[in-house]
Order: sequence, then C-alpha cells, then structure tokens
Amino acid sequence: MAGALSATPADRARGLGGWLAAWLGGWGQLGLAITVLAVAVALLGPALSPFDPLAPSGRRLQPPTAEHWLGLDALGRDVLSRLITGTQISIAVGIAATLLAFALGAGIGLLACAIGGPVAGLFLGAMDLLRTLPSILLALVLVAAIGTGTGPVTFALGLAFAPVFARVARAGYLREMGAGYVTAARGLGASRVRLVLVHAAPNLVGPLLTQAAIILPRVITKEAVLSFFGVGAAPEAPTWGRLIAEGTRFVERAPHLVLAPVLALAVVTLGLSLLGDATRRRLDPNRVAG
Amino acid sequence: MSRAGRIGGVALRQVLLLLGITVAVFVLLRVVPGDAVDVMASEGDITVAQEDLLRRMLGLDIGWPGQLLAWGSDALMGDLGTSLRYGQPVSDMVWAALPVTLGLAAAGLAIGLALGVALALLAMLRPGLAALVDALNVWSIVMPTFCVGLAGILVFSVWLGWLPSLGHGLVPAAIIGLDIGGQIAKPLMEDLRETAEARFVTALRSRGVRRGALVWRHLLPNSLTAVLPLAGLIVAGLVGGTLTMEVLFGLPGLGALLLDAILGRDYPVVQAAILVLSAAVIAANLATEAMQRALDPRVR
Repeated sequence: MAGALSATPADRARGLGGWLAAWLGGWGQLGLAITVLAVAVALLGPALSPFDPLAPSGRRLQPPTAEHWLGLDALGRDVLSRLITGTQISIAVGIAATLLAFALGAGIGLLACAIGGPVAGLFLGAMDLLRTLPSILLALVLVAAIGTGTGPVTFALGLAFAPVFARVARAGYLREMGAGYVTAARGLGASRVRLVLVHAAPNLVGPLLTQAAIILPRVITKEAVLSFFGVGAAPEAPTWGRLIAEGTRFVERAPHLVLAPVLALAVVTLGLSLLGDATRRRLDPNRVAG
Repeated sequence: MSRAGRIGGVALRQVLLLLGITVAVFVLLRVVPGDAVDVMASEGDITVAQEDLLRRMLGLDIGWPGQLLAWGSDALMGDLGTSLRYGQPVSDMVWAALPVTLGLAAAGLAIGLALGVALALLAMLRPGLAALVDALNVWSIVMPTFCVGLAGILVFSVWLGWLPSLGHGLVPAAIIGLDIGGQIAKPLMEDLRETAEARFVTALRSRGVRRGALVWRHLLPNSLTAVLPLAGLIVAGLVGGTLTMEVLFGLPGLGALLLDAILGRDYPVVQAAILVLSAAVIAANLATEAMQRALDPRVR
C-alpha cells in the first residue's frame, strides 16, 4: 500500500505545491495560508506600520477612519500599528518559548534516558506528573516567582511546556528501544549513550516537531492570557494580550480596541492549530485527538 | 501487586507531587527579591523603620527554611496563615472563593458531558450529524476558550446589552462546556459506532433487549472507556479554563484570588490557592484513574 509520503504519478504531475496541498488537506491548507500571512506580517513588522506604535498620533479613542484603519486607543496611538507590532512580539515570544520547551524537555528527557537508573526514572516521573497540571497554573506559579515582563514570561512558558516534550522524547525512546535494529546495535556492544544519541534521537525529530507545531498556538494563547492578567509582557511590548487588556477598560465606548487583537489572536491560533493538526494526522494517524 | 496496592501507589505519587509543588512554590516565592512589604511601600508612604517592623510582625525577617517549617506545621493543623495584604485568615478567603470555582467547574463539566454524550448518541442514530460532531471537535482544538470568552463579553454585554456578563456564571460555564463537549463527542461517537457492530450487541438484540436499554446499559458504559484516556486532558483544560473565565468574567473564585495575590505578592494566599488548585487537579485525576480501573477490566 502507498504510504502517506510516497508520491503517485498524479502527484508528481502537480509538482511540489500540489503534493503539499494534497498532503495537508483542505483545513491544513487554510492553516498554512494563515500561518504564512502571520509570519510575513511579523517579519515585515515596522515596515508595514503606518504610524509609531508607541507614540500618540491623533484623538483618543477615535473610531476607525480612512487614515487610521483600526482607530486609535486610549492614549491616541494607532491600533493597526500596535497590532502589527503585537503580532511580531506575540509570535516571537511564542516561538522562543516553544523552542525553549523543546530544547529543555527533549534535552532532559533524552539525558534521563541516557543516564537511566532509579534517579532518572524518578525525575521523568515527576515531569510526567507536572504535565497533568494545567499549563496556565504552572505558568502562573513561575511568573509569581520570577516576576513579570516579556523575558520572564517567555521563560515561564518555556518551562511550563517542557514536560510535554520530555514525555514525547521518553515515549519515543522506549518505542525505539524495542526495535530490532536497536537489539542488533546493543548486541554489537553499543553504549547506552550511543543508543540514545545515534539510534533514538534521529527517530524522535518527527514526533518532537509535530508536538512543537501543536504546542505553538497554545503557547501564544497562554502568553495572551498572562498578558491579559497583567503578569505578562512589559508595557512597552504591545502583545495581543496586552492590547486586549488595555482595550477591555474601554470596551463599552470603543469595542474595536478589543475586537481587533482578539480577532488577530483567534485567526492566527486557528491557522497554527489547523496546520499542526494536519501535520499530526499525517505523521501519526493512530493517535487520539488532543 | 494487588489492585488496591497499585491505586495506593498512584495516590502516593500524586501526594508526593503535591508536596513537591508546595515546597517548590514556597522556596521560589521567597528566594526572589521583593516581598509584600515592598509592594505596600510602593503603594503608600511608610518609613524604613515601619517596613522593618512590618516584616518582623509578618514573619518575613527569618530565612525561608524557618518560614517553611512554621508554615508547614500550621498548615497541617488547617491554618494556612494570614493574608499579608488584607489581614484576613487565608483559609477564610479560600473557603469563600472555593464555591465559585467549584460551581463554575461543575457547571462547565456537566454541560460538556451532557453535550458530548447527547451529540455522540444522536450522531450514532443519525449519521448525518457526524459533520456537526467533527466541526465541534475542530472548534475545540483550534479555538482557545480565552478568545471565545472575550467574544462572549463583546456579543452579550456590549452589543446585545444583556445584563453584564460580569458576574454572570452561565456564559463562562457554557464556553467551558462547549470546549469539553467538542473534545469528547468525536471519540465517543466513533467508539459507539464500533461497539454497535460488536457481536455481543447482536446477541443482546436477538434476545429482545430494547433499544433504550441497549444504548444506556450496554453501549454507553462500554464506550465511555474510549473517553477516559482523555480525562487527564479534560481535567487540566477544565481547571485552566475555569481560572481564565473567572478573571475574564470577574467571578470571585480561586483563579481571581490567585491572580490578585500574585500581583500583590501576598505569599500565603498564593501558596494556599496553588495548594488547593493542585490538590483539586490531583484528586480529579485519581478519581478518573479509579473509574478507569472500575470500568475497563483490561487496565486492572
């Protein structure tokens, strides 16, 4: 039977774009389109902003006009420019925290597998138990301890999501250790460290990247929640969550202040989640949703 | 090992986790610079001498090991200390907030379970509804409850002018319920369809068991095992969602209490709120573990 990744003659005729489209499916294509758009806005950032996102440029709480497409906020700053800057920071914080969680979780997970023994087992068990707590609670605990601001929040989210990656690394390690080629390598006298680094790790890249794709939208949402709570990004970093928090104080008079960042957050989360879910379905069709 | 022994082992690990979190939070909160007296000093005029006096009165002048010992021995007696900001006993504050959180979480869970089970059953009987189940499943995967809550505030309180979503528990409970319902409806529906084809169902049917009894007594209990592996995820989502909704909708529950305490560096309240919330998650996980063992003989 043809595997998910093998190309049929029809696929080859449509080229790489057609193959990717077929691979992702309808929802996945929508996710990819949104993701590409969001990343483009984040990368171009300041070049796209019509006004200074941090300085006033007109009347306070002004509704949308031809000049200011999304109106002005309570301090007379252009909402569109703030939203573009916010997109940049929110996505950057999300990616940085996800990478930190990836590196920490996978690193700790593989290290514990390489060392082995009861202490490593205990440590992995503790990570696994931490995973059962809501990520927002873990992030709040960490923020309470290390303080607020853009850097600390990135760090806190990275730590809060690390146990998920540790679990994926460990599960993958255990699965690979049961494979025939590992038994063969062991029979040839491969060390435990070699088994982990040379044999297990390359096979973990796929599952770990899939996990990262699933986690990224959640990290971005959690950053927004923390910033909304007032324990997240610094005042000079107008992330989506901060924009929402600032907007809710004037929600009766100027609902557009809340609506714009909420829509941005919802649409980008939707795009990233659809893309992550399509990837997961393709690479790991047997797993239960979640 | 016996069955009771294994459940005991699971419980022991969970209690150790709770202990670990409590100590970690205690130490973390105290090794970082800045305490409640600093916050008070930044909010009003107090002299350095008054600050020192306050620290001595509040027991903040000794190192964290001493504070941990004092707090731990009091906590074992049910005394969670006194709020540094409000001067009230922390246990009173927790008791006042607990019903709000439990009520919201219970309402959200009830709505979610009812919605999920009802949709799955309907979709089993009417295959055309499967598309709705799929759509709701995608919704719960891609749409954060935080965004839905904000949209709810905009729609219900700003545009429809219905009495302030603030302080109203039904909208947040419905949002949490929608999320949970979407998560469980799909696996439940798929398992129900599979189970309906099983030979024991044909046997029951041929013996004249009525359809209602067949569904409620035989199909559903069997298919619940398909949802139970999701229980941990649902519990975490439920508690996280409840915290977010409380703050979003201004409900005075444990989440709002915790956030207020974090912002004010009110250590005893932070400590107690985290203790109670983690204990709730752990208790819920133990309960589902026990349920899974009771329902699914393969896990025993």
